[in-house]
Amino acid sequence: MEILKEVFRSLYANKLRTFLSMLGIVIGVAAVIMVMSLGAGMKKGVTERLTSLGSNVIMVSPGFVGGRGGTVAQAVETLKESDVKAILDMCPSVSKAVGLLSGSYLVQYKNSNTRISVYAAPNEIFQILNLKVSRGRTFSEDDKSKNVLIIGREAAYNLFKNEDPLGKRVYIVQGSRKIPFEVIGIFERTGSILMFNPDRMILIPYETGKYRVFQSRGGISMIIAMTSSPELSPNAVMEIDHLLYTKFHGQESYYNVVSQQAILNVVTESVNIINLVLVAIAAVSLVVGGIGIMNIMLVSVVERTREIGIKMALGASRARILVEFLVESITITFVAGAIGVLLGVLGSETAVNTFGKTYGLVAVIEPTSVLIAFGVSACIGLFFGFYPAYRASRLSPIEALRYE
Amino acid sequence: MTPRKVMELVDVWKIYDMGEVKVEALRGISFEVYEGEYVFVVGPSGSGKSTLLHILGCLDRPTKGKVFIEGEDVSKMSDRKLAKVRNRKVGFVFQTYNLLPRLNALENVELPMIYAGVPARERRKKAKELLELVGLGDRLYHRPNQLSGGQQQRVGIARALANDPSFILADEPTGNLDTKSGEEVMAIFKKLHEMGKTLIVVTHNPELLKDGTRIVKLRDGVIEDMEIRGVVYGNT
Repeated sequence: MEILKEVFRSLYANKLRTFLSMLGIVIGVAAVIMVMSLGAGMKKGVTERLTSLGSNVIMVSPGFVGGRGGTVAQAVETLKESDVKAILDMCPSVSKAVGLLSGSYLVQYKNSNTRISVYAAPNEIFQILNLKVSRGRTFSEDDKSKNVLIIGREAAYNLFKNEDPLGKRVYIVQGSRKIPFEVIGIFERTGSILMFNPDRMILIPYETGKYRVFQSRGGISMIIAMTSSPELSPNAVMEIDHLLYTKFHGQESYYNVVSQQAILNVVTESVNIINLVLVAIAAVSLVVGGIGIMNIMLVSVVERTREIGIKMALGASRARILVEFLVESITITFVAGAIGVLLGVLGSETAVNTFGKTYGLVAVIEPTSVLIAFGVSACIGLFFGFYPAYRASRLSPIEALRYE
Repeated sequence: MTPRKVMELVDVWKIYDMGEVKVEALRGISFEVYEGEYVFVVGPSGSGKSTLLHILGCLDRPTKGKVFIEGEDVSKMSDRKLAKVRNRKVGFVFQTYNLLPRLNALENVELPMIYAGVPARERRKKAKELLELVGLGDRLYHRPNQLSGGQQQRVGIARALANDPSFILADEPTGNLDTKSGEEVMAIFKKLHEMGKTLIVVTHNPELLKDGTRIVKLRDGVIEDMEIRGVVYGNT
């Protein structure tokens, strides 16, 4: 108690200096808190987006072959409609599977031309990828081979600008042919989900796509499968992999099987690494702040040499002097830590309020990160305060008393 | 009744090792101080006064010989124990007062009691009494820079008395004071002596010696002469 009183008195006596030495820690802690909360927010956002796609989704895509001796690697059309059926029949963990056709086409509306990714898929795709239409309607049974399409928000804006796309006639340009389509729906804004970005794509009924646009003879661009529960996902991946491995006689490069779960894991891991790097960078400023504290404490020890001598002569033990200085540096960093946490929280809230809408930013302030920030700043006080405090406690009382 | 021996030096040597040369600051000092004595240690500069002061004040240990304070040998004590002895047994009065500038008079006097673990209420009461004793009852909350030199030195004396030490050890207590303030301080010392306190004053000023019961004259690290004036007074 007495020590704390004494410490506050001496800190108060050097207000400006105390404030300046706190500043380093304040900034450091605020930076760490901001990075941590925005990082956690980013992770949450990404994870939510990925899981909204369904963590029980599995994608099978054709592999790349060639790429040796000067030839450029290119995707091979190795997957066929029959593979979809085979997967449904042979892989017990798979509950649904559809084949997709995809390609990038020039789409025309009046004078405006835009290149847009066009997907042709059976209606089940809506369930599997959890796609929703915000305006207009989805494909009905009657639409099966009609020239109708559903368009994403961004694609619609690029093509129609401020006109209402619903009911408009557009053309998908296929070589020299222009295939007319009617816009019947607009996707709900979802943001990018890996290789799918409903905001930027056009979806057409499978049959229409197969015969009129892609003119496929049974080849497909990819297979999207689904398990009834996320836990079955690894099993399903193995079953599909085994099936295709056999089919392609061990040519693993002919196909890729990726589960949403695996992608989620990879992405989460990368987000974690990014967060860690950012926190590490922010933590550097904490170390810099700590060195600032150490510097100030060393100056303070020299300045108070005589005072230390007096205290020793009056019976303060070396341990007492050590503790006094340690408490002083810990107090500085602890108070600075508290201010830093406050600023960090306010800062991330401000960042979210300012940029949140535009970039879908959220801040997640975890109690643990606040605790860690507090703990770390107190430890910095302890660590960087120890050497100066130790120096103070090792002073010879005679020398210290003689010091002018 | 035999007076109690407060302090005893037995063949105390202090040798400073300055690399190639060894400086013998004290060369076999022996004397004792009884309770209630008013001792002066005098000598020209370089006689070993300061070194002796440090050893008497438990700020330093002798190279050779023994130092007993109230029968306890402090010459080989650890830093930790020495700090405790300084706190409880020695009451320092410095030439330059050495008050802590951020603390007021009361808090300065309380400081040694804080180190001794005296409870706050008791501490405050004692500090007030001591400041009243030195005539500063009306200056309790003044900071050192609001006090004159003489007043600061009186705070210093009150502080030295805080833990009822075995003896007061004063180093040129009037060295920084004008004649009048110096006389006031010496009057307080006289009063303390009459109250039965044990005082050791280190000085080179011969004018102060008149009230002393024992004058230890140092020269070149040895006791050149020791004058004992009558018996020990006090309440023993």
